[in-house]
Amino acid sequence: MLTALNNDLKPFEELIISYTKGELKPHVEEHDRYPFGNLDTDVIESGFHKIYDLGFMGIMLPEKYNGIGQGISAMCMMLGHVAEVDASYALIIFTSALSQQIIMNAEADGIAEKIYPNAQKAQEYLIAFPSFTNPGQATALPLASSSGKGYTLTGKLDYLVMGNFSKWAIIPARIAERQGYSFFLVDLNDKGVMKSDPIFSLGLHASPIIDVTFENVSVQLIGEEGAGERYFDTVSKKMHVATAAINAGIMRGSLKEAIEYTKEREQGGRPVINWSEVRMLLANMAIKTRVAELCVTQTCKAIDENLKDWGQISIASTLHVHEIACELVNDGVQVLGGNGYMKDYGQEKRYRDARQVQALLGLVPLKKLALIKEMIA
Amino acid sequence: MLRRSKVKSYISRFPRFENETLSMYYAPRMPKAMVRETEEVIALARKFNDEVARPVSLELDRKTHEDPDYLAVELSKKANEWGFYTLWIPKIFGGKGYNMPSLSYFLEEVGSVCVGISNVIGVHYLGVAATMMLSNTRIIRKVMSEVVEGEKTGEPCLISYCITEPAAGTDVEEVDLEAKGRLGCHAQKVKGGYIVNGSKIFISNGHLSTWNVVYAYTDLKRGADTKVALMVKKGMKGFSLGTHENKMGQRACPASVLNFEDCFVPDELVAVDTESLKFFTKKSPRDMNMRHIDYVFSLSRAAVCAFGIGAARGAFEAALKYANETEIDGKPMVTYEWVQCRLAEMYANVRLGRLAYQEANYANQHRGAYNLLQMKPIYYYLKFLPLAYFDKVISPLLDIPIATWILSKWYFDWQKQEDQHLTTGLASMAKFTGTDMGVKNCQMALELMGRAGLRQDNGAEKILRDAKLLQIYEGTNQLNRINLFKSIISPASPKATFFEE
Repeated sequence: MLTALNNDLKPFEELIISYTKGELKPHVEEHDRYPFGNLDTDVIESGFHKIYDLGFMGIMLPEKYNGIGQGISAMCMMLGHVAEVDASYALIIFTSALSQQIIMNAEADGIAEKIYPNAQKAQEYLIAFPSFTNPGQATALPLASSSGKGYTLTGKLDYLVMGNFSKWAIIPARIAERQGYSFFLVDLNDKGVMKSDPIFSLGLHASPIIDVTFENVSVQLIGEEGAGERYFDTVSKKMHVATAAINAGIMRGSLKEAIEYTKEREQGGRPVINWSEVRMLLANMAIKTRVAELCVTQTCKAIDENLKDWGQISIASTLHVHEIACELVNDGVQVLGGNGYMKDYGQEKRYRDARQVQALLGLVPLKKLALIKEMIA
Repeated sequence: MLRRSKVKSYISRFPRFENETLSMYYAPRMPKAMVRETEEVIALARKFNDEVARPVSLELDRKTHEDPDYLAVELSKKANEWGFYTLWIPKIFGGKGYNMPSLSYFLEEVGSVCVGISNVIGVHYLGVAATMMLSNTRIIRKVMSEVVEGEKTGEPCLISYCITEPAAGTDVEEVDLEAKGRLGCHAQKVKGGYIVNGSKIFISNGHLSTWNVVYAYTDLKRGADTKVALMVKKGMKGFSLGTHENKMGQRACPASVLNFEDCFVPDELVAVDTESLKFFTKKSPRDMNMRHIDYVFSLSRAAVCAFGIGAARGAFEAALKYANETEIDGKPMVTYEWVQCRLAEMYANVRLGRLAYQEANYANQHRGAYNLLQMKPIYYYLKFLPLAYFDKVISPLLDIPIATWILSKWYFDWQKQEDQHLTTGLASMAKFTGTDMGVKNCQMALELMGRAGLRQDNGAEKILRDAKLLQIYEGTNQLNRINLFKSIISPASPKATFFEE
C-alpha cells in the first residue's frame, strides 16, 4: 500500500521481498530457538550482516553518513515486509534506526561521523538501544557523573536490545542534581560493562536482549545534558508508526497462513474455508489487516507532509494497530486449530511476537494517558 | 398471586427457569460433607503449589525449551506421590472417592500457578472419565486397580484419551462431522479381538501414560456408526509412541503421537463396539456414540474452564503483584484509578468464569454423569464405608456382565436426552467463556506490565502461551459455541440445522 503512494519505493520493495524470502524465511524456525539449543549464533549474525550489507540498517540515515536518506515511509514498508516473514529482524532494524534518530535529533554529528562512515561490520554499525523502554517512565536509570574529563556511568539497565551483539549502545542515564535524563554513547566492550545471559522472552527471539550493569564506564554525552526526554519524545512519536508497521506485517503473515491452511485442511468432508464461521474469522482478520495497513500508510503520509498533530496521529494509530494485531494473531492460531499451536507452523510465533511488539517504546496505558494529556493541554 | 399450576406453566416455558438457574435449585441439595471435602482439596492444592508447582514451573518450561525432548517424568511421579491420580476415582473402583466437582476447583488452584502442571494431573481424569463413561465395569475395575497399584509402587499409571487424528480434529468430537470426516484409525474385527492400524496425534500425557482409551473405526467412511472404543496398554505389540509436539506452551504436559501398526487388541480390552451395544440398547450406535462423547466432554470441558480460570487468576495475580511493587511518577501504581479498574476487571473475569464451571458442574451433578454418585444416600454410603468393604464385597461383582448392563443402561438408555443436552451445552458455555477470559486476562496483564511481563523469568508471558491452547483443545471455542446453540438454544429455533450448511 505504501508503494502505491510512493512509486520510488518500488525497486526497494522488490529487493526487500527477495531478501526476506531468500535469506530470512528458511531460518525462521531455527532462529526462533535462540537463546536455546545448539543454535549456531553465526547464522543469526550472518543475518545481521546481510541486512547491513543491503543498507537496510541505514535506511533513514542521511547519505553523508553512508545511509540511504529515506523517510519513515520507506522504513515502514521495509519493516512490514521483514515482519511478515520474521519480526525478530524487524526489531533489529527498528532498534538501529531508533539509535540513529536519537543521534540525529541530538545533532550529535561528531558521534555519527565517528561510527557510521567507519563501521566495518554490523556489530560496529548497529547501536544497541533499550527499545522497550520509555526512559522517562523508568523508576531507576544508571547514574552518570562528570569528572571534568568526561562522564562515567554506574548502575543497571534492563532489557537492552542487541546488547550482546553490538559494540556501541545508547544508554539513558541521570546526572546527579540535574532534572530529567540524558543519553550517552557506551562502548559495550569496556571492561566495566557486565552483561547478563540473553533473556528468554515471549517473542522476537532472534533479536537478543540482555540486562547490563555498568561500573565506572567512560561514556560520551549525546547532545545536551538533561535533554534526553526531548530527544526521545520527538523520535518516539515518529518511530511509533514503525512499530505499527511491524505488527501490520505480522498481521499480513498471519492472514496469509490462515487462508492457505483453511483451503487445504478438511473438516466434515469439505475444506475448512467453506464453513461460514471460519470465513467470519478470516473476514475479521482481513478487515483488521486492511485497517492496520491504512493506519500505517496514512500516518506515514501525515508525517511526510508534516501534517498538524502528526505526532498524535502516529501514537493513536499505532496503539490501535497493536490492539487489533493482538486480537488477530489469536484468531490466526485458532483458525489452524491444534496445528496453529505447534512450532511447525508460523502462527504461534506471530501470537508471541505481536504482543512483544506492542510493548515497544513503553507502557501502553501510559501512552494513552500521555496522548489525552497532550490533546487537552 | 398465581396458582402453583400457573407458576409451573410459566417457568417451564423456554428458557426453562430451572435450567437457567441451576445453582439456585441444586446448591441446597448438596451434601454438606462435600463442602468440607472441597476445602480439604483446595488446601492440598495450595500446599502442592507451595512445595512443588511454584518452585519448578518456570524451570520446567525453560528446560523443555532447552531440550524439546525433555519429559516431565519426575513431576508426574511427584503428583503420584501426593495421591492425586486416585483422589477422584470412586471408592467402588479402589480410589479415594473425593467428590468429582472438587476436581475443578483443584485444577483452577494448581492452574493459577501452572496450567501445564495442572494438566498433567487433570488430563489423567479425562482418561478416567472416558473409561468410566464407557460403562464397562470389568474394564473400569481392571484399569483403575492398576492406577491404585501405581500409587502404591510409586510408578504412576496414567490414562490418556486418544481421539484426535492427523486429518481429523474437530471431526471426532461431533458424530455429524465424524460421519463425513477423513478418519484414519482403522479397527478390523478378527477372531478374539481387533487389529488396529493408524495413528493419533496431540494426545495429552501420551508419553507419560500407561493406558490409552482409543477410538478406532471398523469402516473409516462410516466412522460415526462403526466406532470401537479400545483400551491399549503401553508395551502392547504394534503400539508405539512417536514424537511429542513442540508446543508454544503447557510444555510440562506432552502432546504425543501414538502409532498403531497391526496392533492386536483382545476382546477383553474392547470396552464398547457395535455388537456390545446390542447387549443393553436398541438405540443406534451413532446415538450411543454421541452420548458417550457428550458425557466425556461435559466433564472435561468444565475442567478446561477451570484451567482457563486458573490462567486468568495467574495473570491477575502477576499483574497485582507488579502493580503493588511498581511506582509511576513517584506514586505506587495501585493508587491510580485506571490501574484499580483494570485489576478489578481481571478479578471479575476470574469470579464470573468460576461461576460458569460451577453451573456446568451442577448440571453434571444433578442431570449428568455424576448424578449417581451425588445422590445423598449414595454419596454418604460411598464416603463412610471403608475401602476394604468395597474391595472385598462390591468389587468382585463388577466383573459380572450384569454390572456393565446396569451401568450402561443407567447412562445410555435411562438418562433423559434433555438432561444431556443441558449438561453438554453448559459445559461448552463454560469452556469457551473460561478460556476466553484466561487469554483476555493474560493480554490485560501484559499491557499493564509492559516489558517486565515479557520476561520468562517473571512468569506472566508463560501464562499467555499456556492459555492459548485452552481455546483449542476439548473442541475449539467455535465448536463449543455451536454445541451450546445446538444443545440449549435450538429448541427456540426449530428451523436450525447443524453441520449441514
